Amino acid sequence: MSLKYHTLLTCILLLLGWRCVREADIKLPEQPTRIVAISHFSPGNPIQVEVSLSQSITDAGDPVIPANADVSIAVGGKFLDKLFRVTDDGGRIYWESRDLVETNTEYTLAVRVAGLDLVEAHSVAPAPIRLSNTRVDTLGMRIIELTDGKLALQVPLEISMANLPAQDRYFAFGLRHEIEIFEIIDGEPIPDEYYEASTKFLADGRTLALVYDTPEKVVLVDQNFWSNDSKTIWLDALIPFDPDYERPRRMFIEWRTLSEDFYRYHLSLARQGSNIPLNDPDALYNNISGGYGNFSGFSVSNDTIAIPDFN
Amino acid sequence: MAIRVLVLSLGLISLSFISLKGQNPLQNRAVDFTCINCLPTDALVQLSRQTGINIVFNDLFFQDCSPVTVIVAGVPFSKVLETITACTNLSYRWVGDQVVFYRKIQKFTLSGYVQDAETGERLIGASVRVFSNAATGTTTNEYGFFSLPLEQGGGYRLAVSYIGYQQDLRTLEMNADRLLTIRLAPNSALPEVLVTALPVADMVENGAGSRQNLPPAAMKQMPVPGGEADLLRLAALQSGVQTGVDGLGGLHVRGGNADQNLILLDDVPVYNPHHALGLFSVFNPATVSNARLWKGDFPARYSGRASSVLDVRTRDGHFREFHTDISAGLFAVSATVEGPLVRDTCSFLLSGRTTYFGPWIDLFSKRDNLITFSGENINYRFHDVNAKLNYIFSAKNRLYFSYYQGGDIFKNRFEQRTNDPEGLFTDEYTLDSEWGNAIAALRWNHLLRKNLFTNTTVRFSRFYYQSKLGLLSNFLSASGKENLLANYGQIYQTVIRDWSGKTDFSYFPTNTLTLRWGLAYTFHTFQPGALSINFLVPGQSPITIDSLSKVLLNNERLGADEAEVYLDAEWQFFKNWRLDAGLNYSLFQIRNNTFSAIQPRLRVQRSGPGGWTHWAGFHRSAQYLHQIGSFNISLPFELWVPTTTKVPPELVWQISGGTALSRSGWNVSLEGYYKRFERVLTFLSSNTALFTGGAEDASGWEDRVSAGTGSGYGLEINLEKRLRPTTVVFTYSWSKAIRQFPDINSGRAFPFRFDRRHDLTINVQQRIANWLNLNLVWAFATGNPITLSGVKYQHHAPNGDIERNVYVYTEVNGYRLPAYHRLDVAFNALFGRKQLTHSIQLGAYNIYNRANPFFLYVDSGSGSNAKAIQYTLLPLLPSFRYELKF
Repeated sequence: MSLKYHTLLTCILLLLGWRCVREADIKLPEQPTRIVAISHFSPGNPIQVEVSLSQSITDAGDPVIPANADVSIAVGGKFLDKLFRVTDDGGRIYWESRDLVETNTEYTLAVRVAGLDLVEAHSVAPAPIRLSNTRVDTLGMRIIELTDGKLALQVPLEISMANLPAQDRYFAFGLRHEIEIFEIIDGEPIPDEYYEASTKFLADGRTLALVYDTPEKVVLVDQNFWSNDSKTIWLDALIPFDPDYERPRRMFIEWRTLSEDFYRYHLSLARQGSNIPLNDPDALYNNISGGYGNFSGFSVSNDTIAIPDFN
Repeated sequence: MAIRVLVLSLGLISLSFISLKGQNPLQNRAVDFTCINCLPTDALVQLSRQTGINIVFNDLFFQDCSPVTVIVAGVPFSKVLETITACTNLSYRWVGDQVVFYRKIQKFTLSGYVQDAETGERLIGASVRVFSNAATGTTTNEYGFFSLPLEQGGGYRLAVSYIGYQQDLRTLEMNADRLLTIRLAPNSALPEVLVTALPVADMVENGAGSRQNLPPAAMKQMPVPGGEADLLRLAALQSGVQTGVDGLGGLHVRGGNADQNLILLDDVPVYNPHHALGLFSVFNPATVSNARLWKGDFPARYSGRASSVLDVRTRDGHFREFHTDISAGLFAVSATVEGPLVRDTCSFLLSGRTTYFGPWIDLFSKRDNLITFSGENINYRFHDVNAKLNYIFSAKNRLYFSYYQGGDIFKNRFEQRTNDPEGLFTDEYTLDSEWGNAIAALRWNHLLRKNLFTNTTVRFSRFYYQSKLGLLSNFLSASGKENLLANYGQIYQTVIRDWSGKTDFSYFPTNTLTLRWGLAYTFHTFQPGALSINFLVPGQSPITIDSLSKVLLNNERLGADEAEVYLDAEWQFFKNWRLDAGLNYSLFQIRNNTFSAIQPRLRVQRSGPGGWTHWAGFHRSAQYLHQIGSFNISLPFELWVPTTTKVPPELVWQISGGTALSRSGWNVSLEGYYKRFERVLTFLSSNTALFTGGAEDASGWEDRVSAGTGSGYGLEINLEKRLRPTTVVFTYSWSKAIRQFPDINSGRAFPFRFDRRHDLTINVQQRIANWLNLNLVWAFATGNPITLSGVKYQHHAPNGDIERNVYVYTEVNGYRLPAYHRLDVAFNALFGRKQLTHSIQLGAYNIYNRANPFFLYVDSGSGSNAKAIQYTLLPLLPSFRYELKF
């Protein structure tokens, strides 16, 4: 009897040595290769469409950009333009329209690639909801000293819309600032050159929880942010600068009024997580029929604020 | 005589339809009457003839009477009647101009308490059955009390029984109200465990189907990881109850969320019933006296949660002797002391449990398991402290005080060093988390009348979670100069605290009807999440604050009032029918907004011939408190938040019906249900909560909750066969659980995270000897749904940079993990005599070391070798526990 127990215990100890993490033979969902079309368009600009082909998740190579894609747009069911292929200085390849986008016009995108299904999508660039009042609280401005000797200017900022629509509260914004670089000549700071950079910001916890970074370099505002019917966002912009030769001069606010397609696509991207275990990602919003990607419009309203001198 | 009986019967029937209000003038008619040494029957006949007033009676009424002599003149007719019939306990009524005699049925109340003969522990749900011409019965309430009105007389046979105890049989005379204390002797051998089906005889009193007893004896005998007996693991074996893999992920009853279970410990809600994220429960097995689980159709006296009720009561403590119980397993050790402070009057119980996970964590750490998630230096432990004091002032008054405090501590530290040509980068990461519950209850039992029992409770419950996160980054240059790169500190905490009072009444007007009513008030205080950040980073950073500033985010405190009234009726009618009907009305007030809900409960049951029982039920329930978090698997840092104007109350209704058969050693039950989540909540995730201890979830929580709908339906089968010395218990459920939210999956319905099509458990209990048994559990379940992507593409920023890879998740929870199954084995042995017993459990959990997938992670970021990686939580684990009682 004791020998049996001995054997059993030995087996247990051996089995305990097995690892608890292993590669799993899971049949991942397979999808045929499809056309990927991504385009965010705004009034006054041509429509630019990036076209590529989808890849298997196990494919580590670069995505294929089809050379022979036929990209066209239509309005009201009538052909409007055939987009032409462009390769810019940075090597980015896209298809661009000759016509410029108009507000509240529904555009239909069609992309054909030989051997693949036709893809289509519709969207509109909504009329912009403009900013009514962008204000800097000069009394609240302060300089934060950082340990590396740099300073950061904290600028309390109030961004208000002219009106808050009852529905379709789809907005995004981007902040940039301009820094003046100066030289001291005869004891006087003489402006030499300027540079722009994106602006980080602080906010209360609710605001930070309801805004999302997007690949478009703007911050998406969750529509629930407006559930209090307030038209205003309060932020503390943070502008790092070197006091010896730099001075913050201006801030640029890009305020986007989004189509629902734009909003839902980027919200679903934000809710995908970072492939974190246990955290169920949301399904990707896809308005490209027969393919993947996003075709969506937005409108822009820009505002510029001069940053007062601050000592 | 037959005619007299017939007339009497007709008369009695007529009584039901004729108003008897007022007096008949004939009863005051003056009568001269003489009858010497007459039998009462003859005297009545003579009186009837003399007065012309028809008198109806049954000869049997007077069979024990002696002859009477009546000589009166000018006396009212009624007085003469009373004189003639003084030898009996009869009453009469006027029906028209007739006098109808009937036996005055005098009822007395048999009430009392059922308790353990040795310890004085009150036994909840004990069966009390009385047999005379017909059987009647009831069960003891949450305080071991019962009450039965019985007709005057003798020859009653009283049978009191309870699982694990010897039946008490006695004969009763009911000539007055009686208040008994019935002491049941526990079985001395290893108890046979009935986990699933109840004997049909008990079903009438207990309610079959959705309610299940979870006997502590079963909890202690089932094989569990490390030998640590656990109530929630036993609950998870029941059909219709699901957990995540290996218990992690909370309890999900019939497709409900983990926060939709009302979990009570001595009548106080417990907000976090788990230790170790769900691997263990907070219920120290040494202290559990009784546990009952309702999967639906729960009585109206339970409210506040939408899906189920788990009512756990702790032991009172020995009233006569001091005892000590020491138990040690592979993970934990516990000690319990109990005894009388005043013999038979006042007892106490004090119990503590703590863990020693160190060697196990070291073992798992080296295997890159989830527990090690990101660390090399992990310390985890939990503890529980239970205390109970109760004092019997009199047979009618008793006071209880219960206290529980338990907590978990998790510390994780790791250091990452990166060699660079310019120097050495060092990141030191620390996470210290603590969480736990504290509850207290002061209860006063009072027998207001012989059949009216009251319980008044003052309660306190608190759950808190706190995490401290730190990151220290240093750079040591080749020249030996050390630079601080970053110093980040964050403290996050969330708290929910309740003070409440309630009074419950149990009224037993007849032996077929029990009424319960009561009211309760709770004041909730919520601190959904307070965050303090101390962040020092030289240079640019997304959040750049000077080193000494502190930012408090979302440090709001919310107060809310919750009140409820309820009425429950349990009515046994037409011999084999039972009706349970109840109504609960609740109010919830917060920020000057009031929410209310009417929650009806209904259940009908019929016990038919041949051992059959059939039932059907309906319940609607509302929930004003919600646990929300990025993962929805009941992690401790998930927030408990109240209903507000933006976060609506959750509403659930359920219909169910089933049938059961108990015959020839077989107990079989089949139950189907349909559950509709009229409103169910989920949290729109912040994605990073796991790494930062949940801090992100606290901010803006009201605007990050999505309200949706859902449904769940299924069929549950329980089968038990007792072939002494073997008992086989088989439970199976087929179920579907669906959710639909406007903000998730593009508004399309998708499977609930804990949706499982098949869930099967086979439990074999083999009694090898009187002191030894074998317990085998084989569990099988369909794999949990998971969201996977097989396709990706690139989304470029406007300047053409590759901004991110986009994974095309087409459907939320559109795929399934591989099936879950495991086999557990345990030998349970009991040695010793009454004053000193040893019990040993030796076994193994997951004996064939099935690598059950806990989650799946697609590692697609490392070149062409993208692969699915499966994480497993519990491999084969030995199970060992030694328990010493003296």
